[in-house]
Amino acid sequence: MFLEIKDLSVKIENKKILNELNLNINKGEVHAIMGPNGSGKSTLANVLAGKEDYEIINGKINFKDNDLFDLNIEERAQEGMFLAFQYPVEIPGVNITPFLHSAINSKKKRMNEAEIDNLSFAKLLKSKASDLGISIDMLKRSVNTGFSGGEKKRYEILQMSILNPDLAILDETDSGLDIDALKIVTDGVNKLKTKDNSFLIITHYQKLLDYIQPDHVHIMVNGSIVKSGGSEIAAEIEKDGFQKFQ
Amino acid sequence: MNIQDNYLKNKKNIFFSQNKDVQNHREKLIDIFENDRFDKKNNESLKNINLKNFIDFKYKYLIPEETSVINNNQENSYSIVSVNGQCSSYKDDKIEITRILDEDYNDFSKNHTIEKNDHFVNLNSLFLNSGFKIVIKKNNNIKIKISNIITDDHLTIFQKNNYICEEGSSLNLIEEYENKNNSTSNILNVIKLDKNSQLNHFLIQDNSPNHNLIITSHSSCRKDSTYTQKVYNFSEGYVRNFHYSELIEANSEADLQGIFFLKDNNTSNNKTFVKHLAEDCKSNQVYKGILNDRSKATYFSNTHVDQVAQKTEGYQLSKGILLSDNASFFSKPELKIYADDVKCSHGSTIGPIDENAIFYLRSRGMSKIAATKILISSFINEELSSIDNEQMSEIIQKKLVRYLSKVK
Ligand SMILES: Nc1ncnc2c1ncn2[C@@H]1O[C@H](COP(=O)(O)OP(=O)(O)OP(=O)(O)O)[C@@H](O)[C@H]1O
Ligand SMILES: [Mg+2]
Repeated sequence: MFLEIKDLSVKIENKKILNELNLNINKGEVHAIMGPNGSGKSTLANVLAGKEDYEIINGKINFKDNDLFDLNIEERAQEGMFLAFQYPVEIPGVNITPFLHSAINSKKKRMNEAEIDNLSFAKLLKSKASDLGISIDMLKRSVNTGFSGGEKKRYEILQMSILNPDLAILDETDSGLDIDALKIVTDGVNKLKTKDNSFLIITHYQKLLDYIQPDHVHIMVNGSIVKSGGSEIAAEIEKDGFQKFQ
Repeated sequence: MNIQDNYLKNKKNIFFSQNKDVQNHREKLIDIFENDRFDKKNNESLKNINLKNFIDFKYKYLIPEETSVINNNQENSYSIVSVNGQCSSYKDDKIEITRILDEDYNDFSKNHTIEKNDHFVNLNSLFLNSGFKIVIKKNNNIKIKISNIITDDHLTIFQKNNYICEEGSSLNLIEEYENKNNSTSNILNVIKLDKNSQLNHFLIQDNSPNHNLIITSHSSCRKDSTYTQKVYNFSEGYVRNFHYSELIEANSEADLQGIFFLKDNNTSNNKTFVKHLAEDCKSNQVYKGILNDRSKATYFSNTHVDQVAQKTEGYQLSKGILLSDNASFFSKPELKIYADDVKCSHGSTIGPIDENAIFYLRSRGMSKIAATKILISSFINEELSSIDNEQMSEIIQKKLVRYLSKVK
């Protein structure tokens, strides 16, 4: 199994957010999670990425034959986990080039691969940016600082395509994108997709799933997966909402 | 030993002790010390300080054997090595360097902007044993680099310097303070900018743990002149930077910036004070601090806008990053405005490094320590990238890397 989440319960500030959650993802699969606001989707994404504010009260997560809880935040990333944030944080004064360059090289180091030099990295960054319709000017700016909502989301996908993760978690990457941007971003995802990597896509809209075909769709309510199936579930939600699961 | 005995014992070594006016002034100062007439309430110069250590000191001064002024004609640049606060005389058609005179002393003692309750300033006047005066002549564009060297352990340097920028002149002044010998330097700079002149003043401070550096400066700007001061404090010993600026004629500008990098048990006290006394003047006071371990800092910033100073723009900002729970940074901005047509603002943000930013960077594969370092660098990125002197910016970068290497 590639990612195996077993009976995961998580608390924050004495409030239980995830409740005996189970989810399995195999290599090469695309999974989608839909669920009402506040059901715990971002919490799950953050717990996977290693955010430290949460109290894990029960459960196990296995990722690529590692106990995920044995890995710290950066080790998870270096092992191939990537989270495209719902709300990417603005970091004034930090430019994407040195930061992402150092990030990709720490991953290479862990994998015992050769590091990328400055020039090759600059080239790589430029070409990926142009694929995603991101201007050179934007690459010169500080990470996410003063970016529009849509620009931030594209920037997340740019980082994803550079780091080339084994498991990419996209937390509402489609929210805030105009229709053209949605096309560009989903093209980016589809280009990256191989039989060796997996995606976990959190979304509120069936539209996204028209562009990226999921193998499995899950409904999350009150911190648990209450129903799983194929794309037809997304259509059902679009039509009837979450009422009957609550 | 009490102050009076200390003074009398070393009098022969102290500048101007034969001058009547100076004597009168000093008698008053001694009275303040002896009878403890300091106003201790709200006295910014007393924060984080064990005053006794500085008043009860062992006076020691050595007259330097050799100092140097090197003129590099082509680039209009000069290198000065000031030894124990002294500098040899020099004169050409662009600049003139002399030792400080008693008339400069008396001129200073009549200045009312510098806090009279400041014991460091008073000690400086009382025990004055060194100092020089540099005049930049009309319409010249000059670069000066001063290395401030102290030759022996446990010296007590009391130094007054005068800088005079004549009309239309421009001075780029870099001062280096890098001393390793457990001495105390108490320096007072009096800076005068005539019409349409400019002074870019950089101070790089990097002393060892038992070296104390106390700098107080006073600048006054005439019409269309600009005084810019940038202080980079990497010292492992105590540093005090207090700077007073007076904008006395229209369309002049004062820009006071500082960055300090503290660690271990170190302390730094900082103050900037800008007095707007004429219309259409601008001022900026920006201090940033990075504090690790159990280090402590204070920063007081003040803008005073006189009622004639219409169309004033005054801006104050202080920012601090606390890298440890045991570090502390006390900041107090103050604005006193007596004119109605002014634009003034102040702000202060001090706190630990942004955990969300750390999480974001780590989630891309960057180690926690690398993320912390990149965020510290970004905190001062604006100030560092605005240094338009390549040599300076290299020096600062190197010291920053050294500071960051100790961040765990
Ligand atoms: N730091 C926190 N302190 C207290 N409660 C929190 C904290 N973080 C999240 N929560 C709560 O946890 C619940 C789940 O939040 P989460 O962000 O995971 O929801 P979500 O499913 O992603 O919602 P949305 O669709 O609106 O993005 C919410 O009720 C939220 O208020
Ligand atoms: Mg969410």
